[in-house]
Amino acid sequence: MLERTGIPTKAEIESITPSDERRRKGPVAVIECFQKIPCNPCYTSCKFGAIREFKDINERPVLDFDKCTGCGICVVNCPGLAIFIIDETYSDTEALVKIPYEFVPLPYEGIFVTALNREGKPICRAKVVKVQNAKFQDKTPVVSLAVPKEYSMEVRFFNIDDYFSDSTYICRCEELTLGELRELIRMGYRTLDEIKRISRAGMGPCQGRTCRQLIMQELAKATGQKMEEMPMTTFRPPVKAIKLGALTGGVDNE
Amino acid sequence: MKTVEIAVIGGGPAGLSAAINAASLGAKVAIIERDDQLGGQLRKQTHMFFGSKEQYASTRGIDIAVILQEELKKYRNNVEIYTDATVLGIYEDGVLTIEQGGKYMKLKPERIIVATGASEKFLAFPNNDLPGIYGAGAVQTLMNIYGVKPGNNVLMVGAGNIGLIVSYQLMQAGVNVKAIIDAAPKIGGYLVHASKVRRMGIPILTSHSVKYAHGKDSLEKVTIWQLDDQWKPIVGTEQDIEADVMCISVGLSPLAELLWQIGCKMVFVPELGGHVPLRNENMETSIKGIYIAGDVAGIEEASSAMVEGRLAGLCAAKSLGYDTENFEKLRHEYLAQLNSLRSGPVGEKIIKGLSKVTA
Ligand SMILES: Cc1cc2nc3c(=O)[nH]c(=O)nc-3n(C[C@H](O)[C@H](O)[C@H](O)COP(=O)(O)OP(=O)(O)OC[C@H]3O[C@@H](n4cnc5c(N)ncnc54)[C@H](O)[C@@H]3O)c2cc1C
Ligand code: SF4
Ligand code: SF4
Repeated sequence: MLERTGIPTKAEIESITPSDERRRKGPVAVIECFQKIPCNPCYTSCKFGAIREFKDINERPVLDFDKCTGCGICVVNCPGLAIFIIDETYSDTEALVKIPYEFVPLPYEGIFVTALNREGKPICRAKVVKVQNAKFQDKTPVVSLAVPKEYSMEVRFFNIDDYFSDSTYICRCEELTLGELRELIRMGYRTLDEIKRISRAGMGPCQGRTCRQLIMQELAKATGQKMEEMPMTTFRPPVKAIKLGALTGGVDNE
Repeated sequence: MKTVEIAVIGGGPAGLSAAINAASLGAKVAIIERDDQLGGQLRKQTHMFFGSKEQYASTRGIDIAVILQEELKKYRNNVEIYTDATVLGIYEDGVLTIEQGGKYMKLKPERIIVATGASEKFLAFPNNDLPGIYGAGAVQTLMNIYGVKPGNNVLMVGAGNIGLIVSYQLMQAGVNVKAIIDAAPKIGGYLVHASKVRRMGIPILTSHSVKYAHGKDSLEKVTIWQLDDQWKPIVGTEQDIEADVMCISVGLSPLAELLWQIGCKMVFVPELGGHVPLRNENMETSIKGIYIAGDVAGIEEASSAMVEGRLAGLCAAKSLGYDTENFEKLRHEYLAQLNSLRSGPVGEKIIKGLSKVTA
């Protein structure tokens, strides 16, 4: 299976999973390297002697879970990017998964991303807790994600596109983000007017000039409606925001 | 005519390592490199390398190129470097003809180390001449040397290390890789590389091949189909993949024209990528004084290319009378390193191939 698809089998994963008991004790490395290849930096980089000595450079790494401190040095030295750190003591419900991530842009600490499994399938939302990119890491940053504990052995990559678009403003006046808009559409709001009434998008100083088309595009994408057939919002005066005082002052030439 | 003791043809990891060792023993060396910079394939390898400490494992290829050039500088009094200089021919009297910057010149070395590397193999399928269809190495050069994005949606053909690594680097450059296909039933490259691109969501379709490329002025779409156990296409399994770039990475073959010219005994060895020269343990070919190292001696890895280069440089210098008390110790160390790199399952094929050409 692994050699046909690149996805390790359940049995292969089980064979390298630290015991429940060990996982309750603190951070630990998970080495997902299942083939004999001429490579040994995991062993030579570990300062705690946790990876068994390679008698032959083609050996597979064997980790002594009790000696492993979860320090993460091997993570940035593995040319296969095949090592992860999991820490199930992070909180009662969440575990940390540390993932080597050689891409730009790097996520910011505190944002949410879509966590992916070994097939690249989304499995949950995850908070970026830490981004480490020190000089010794030599351009292999490590991103720590907080994920529900049951996913500590599932989450192995993530997608930040979502973050960048989810938090992007659609309506700058009333501060509606793309993420919020998508949520509204998912909840069943299907017209410009409905979205305007529930979110105030389009009711600010620009009166919808910024957001109208963008909302239509997003509706079209999510629901398959054609933009040319979409019902418009009702247009009422005034076309720009004016002070109440201008109205209460009465009409000049009456 | 200009003369030199040792001419090293090609300034990749093999050639650089050969030059370092020969010059360190005191030999006068000329490196002739057709590119405008030394480093060969290393110049575009932005990923960390495998191997062990001796071969700079977990250092990025581009940084290994710098390390080797720094080491070479220690012996700068013994080394002449010609860049933008292509060796056009080797003649029976041992004279090299070289084109450098539009000028033609001759060089007469006493020993020659050929380290010219390899070229990419191509595939035959209808419309394979459409713009947008490249060798994977060419795409890597475009991206990592010239900073040019090759397109938006890529189909990678070939799941060997090069196909997997270039796919990863395309994704790093913000190019979408639609799929990696390979005619073989198993992924040829290292599985850690495969898992790395797979978890980014790139499907790897083994037992699949290209049926047809479509496009008016350039590539627009590729029809692929599945192969059965006998590698025969299964009609009805066709699917279309929209792509403006197709990368072909179905292997390399040794760039051995110069060795043919001078009459080295050549053998066709599929395990090593094609025709390669007979050689002895010290990397000397059937013609005395002509040595080889790196991919031209058999397609392998930069790690083994560097060790072969060290060995060839050491032995070529020794044959000129430059000695070191450590000679035998070093020679054995290099042979041991090569053995160790090739000792696993991945090296089996190489060992089998080498058994056909090593005297
Ligand atoms: C995408 C990719 C990823 C790779 N990843 C790894 C990896 O992770 N680990 C690893 O160990 N290996 C890796 N390799 C393999 C490695 O790059 C090669 O095995 C290695 O570069 C071979 O070294 P070489 O010196 O023989 O050839 P090259 O590096 O190809 O150098 C040959 C040099 O000779 C020059 N030349 C050729 N003909 C002439 C001529 N007539 N006159 C003058 N100069 C000439 C060329 O310009 C070139 O600079 C990878 C290769 C590729 C393409
Ligand atoms: S996490 Fe640290 S202690 Fe554990 S194997 Fe890696 S380098 Fe060694
Ligand atoms: S460094 Fe990574 S790829 Fe190399 S043997 Fe260790 S785990 Fe495997």
